[in-house]
Amino acid sequence: MATTDPIPVSASVIERPAAHLLVMVAAMPADQFERLLTNLTAAFPAESMLVATQNEFASGAFSDLRIMLAPSTGAAWASTAADFLNAFELAREENVRAVLMLGPGSDSLSAAALRALAGAVLSSLVDLAVPFYALPPYAGLINSAILYPLTRALFASRIRFPQAIDLCLSMRMAERLAGAARRFTSSNQPDTLIWPVNEAVAAGYAMDEFDVGPRALPQPADVDVNAILSLVTGSLFADVESKAALWQRPRRLPPPRRPLHDLSNADGTPDIARMIESFRFAYSNLQEIWSLVLPPNSLLGLKRLSVTDAALFRMPDPLWARILFDFLIAYRLRTINRGHLLGALIPLYLGWVAGHINITAAGMSSERHIEAVAAAFEADKPYMVSRWRWPDRFKS
Amino acid sequence: MLSMFLFLLQSNPYAVSQPMYTDNASVWRHMSDALHQSVYRVLTLLIAVLPGILAFFLALVVFSLIGVIISAVLRSILVFVKFDNRITRFRGNTEWTPSAPPSALVARVCFWVWVLIGLIIGVAAFDASYAAGTPLPISLLPYLTHTVGAILLLIAGTLIARFLARSVLIGGVNAQLQYARFLSLGVKWLVLVLTAAMVLDHLEIGGNIVELAFGILFGGIVLALALAIGLGSRDLVSRSLESHVERAGERNAGPPNASGQSPSESIRHF
Repeated sequence: MATTDPIPVSASVIERPAAHLLVMVAAMPADQFERLLTNLTAAFPAESMLVATQNEFASGAFSDLRIMLAPSTGAAWASTAADFLNAFELAREENVRAVLMLGPGSDSLSAAALRALAGAVLSSLVDLAVPFYALPPYAGLINSAILYPLTRALFASRIRFPQAIDLCLSMRMAERLAGAARRFTSSNQPDTLIWPVNEAVAAGYAMDEFDVGPRALPQPADVDVNAILSLVTGSLFADVESKAALWQRPRRLPPPRRPLHDLSNADGTPDIARMIESFRFAYSNLQEIWSLVLPPNSLLGLKRLSVTDAALFRMPDPLWARILFDFLIAYRLRTINRGHLLGALIPLYLGWVAGHINITAAGMSSERHIEAVAAAFEADKPYMVSRWRWPDRFKS
Repeated sequence: MLSMFLFLLQSNPYAVSQPMYTDNASVWRHMSDALHQSVYRVLTLLIAVLPGILAFFLALVVFSLIGVIISAVLRSILVFVKFDNRITRFRGNTEWTPSAPPSALVARVCFWVWVLIGLIIGVAAFDASYAAGTPLPISLLPYLTHTVGAILLLIAGTLIARFLARSVLIGGVNAQLQYARFLSLGVKWLVLVLTAAMVLDHLEIGGNIVELAFGILFGGIVLALALAIGLGSRDLVSRSLESHVERAGERNAGPPNASGQSPSESIRHF
């Protein structure tokens, strides 16, 4: 591939009609970027689209496309505050109607998927279009265990991937997210995660999710689950805390609109022995810290779980919901240092993962179990609201 | 006032100590004299210290009142300029999120600064009044300030010890270190011993003995930890290091896998 010339920020931009869609592309390898451009040209007319990329790129094959350089943000696995701010600034400058944000690895999205995401926003049906990825059963587990159930219970949203790396935003949605992002960039925290679904609910904007098929999700550079869980969960907890007045109001959950997808796990059932061992080891060492956060009923549930045989190991859904709500309350009350709190959540999460794998290995579909977990969170929301308002009650 | 007390005490020195038996008269007189002198000394001391105490409390009350007024005015101004909203807007998602509104925090800080100023001025007034008023030595006052410092050191040391112990425990448990609890206890006691030595040194108790004892105890704990980990838990350490190396190898070799499973088992947490 020729890479000698910089991006031809086209001189003919002025002569062309104004684009309707700004496509913000994250930094990715050159071959992936070329595949993505191919998909984009198949999905949209070249003149209706403006591509902003963080890549150094020059290729004669896409000379009819308008490609410009976007400020580099270094975001590799999730869109950050800086990404949303840059997207809005560029979109405002170019006077487009919608912004399609695509993360690394988005070349695996088909042209139809790209068209579905952008089409809904361009036709003004929704302000936020979120993809529904068809992931293998044991992928995106933090999302399945924490992000989706918590977002669904508190914000009454059925969006399955609240932290999706590919999004399509209307201009007012982009402006809203840029406003939220500006708070962080102005305090020199450009890498902070933003929660578009929560913002859309807060603003009362319409949103929907679209089936985009399989997608290779980019993984964080630091593969340590401790760091990822603390970062993502801490960010969501902080967002939930800042929107407390919003989610405490009763909200009706929209009816389900998509059938449950079930992908078979080609790699077989993973070994859960290490995770169960990790949970048991934590149970014998972290009780002192858990007892500061969890009520006796939950501790009793964990005690039972710690002596359960590995083959029968399952974290009951109501127990998991109660644990997460109690950790959220402790996060708000600063019962213990927040870093310690999120660290103490990790073995419990691994326990949930082990139980989830056991359940799916026993024949229940992964999606069905995740929906059951989310339903347990919804059922326990009154407890969460009560404890949020009167933290000293319900300590039993 | 002092002369009045002296007059009362000395106006009728024999009235109280009338001897019932004439042969014991001199004994009673001596006892009475001794008692009178003691009472005189106590009252003299009290009278010398009283103005200082009065000055101390006066300074404290006056400055506390000033603090109340200024903090109330400050809070009103902050509410008027919507300080809380501005702070919330610009603070972002920082780790530090206080439970009280920022304006209330600023007002509280202002109040306590004034109380602290009152305390300092009160102590200075007490010191000056005492120094001018009486030639008797009081060694308690400088010691009291050292005690306050020692208490602050103790509180800070205890908090740091607990924080570090929890950090080590949680980090160790998540890293699957079998001796995580032992390590956490070791760190906790290291910090507590260090704190105790600093407190005693600050109070000037023990002198060289404390330094020596601290050195022995601190070195002993470190040696015990090293021996326990190096000898007693040799197998555990080697297993832990091996698994760590294996995991690092997997990360370099295959696609990211957060749980330490083999790449083929395809658990992806994010």
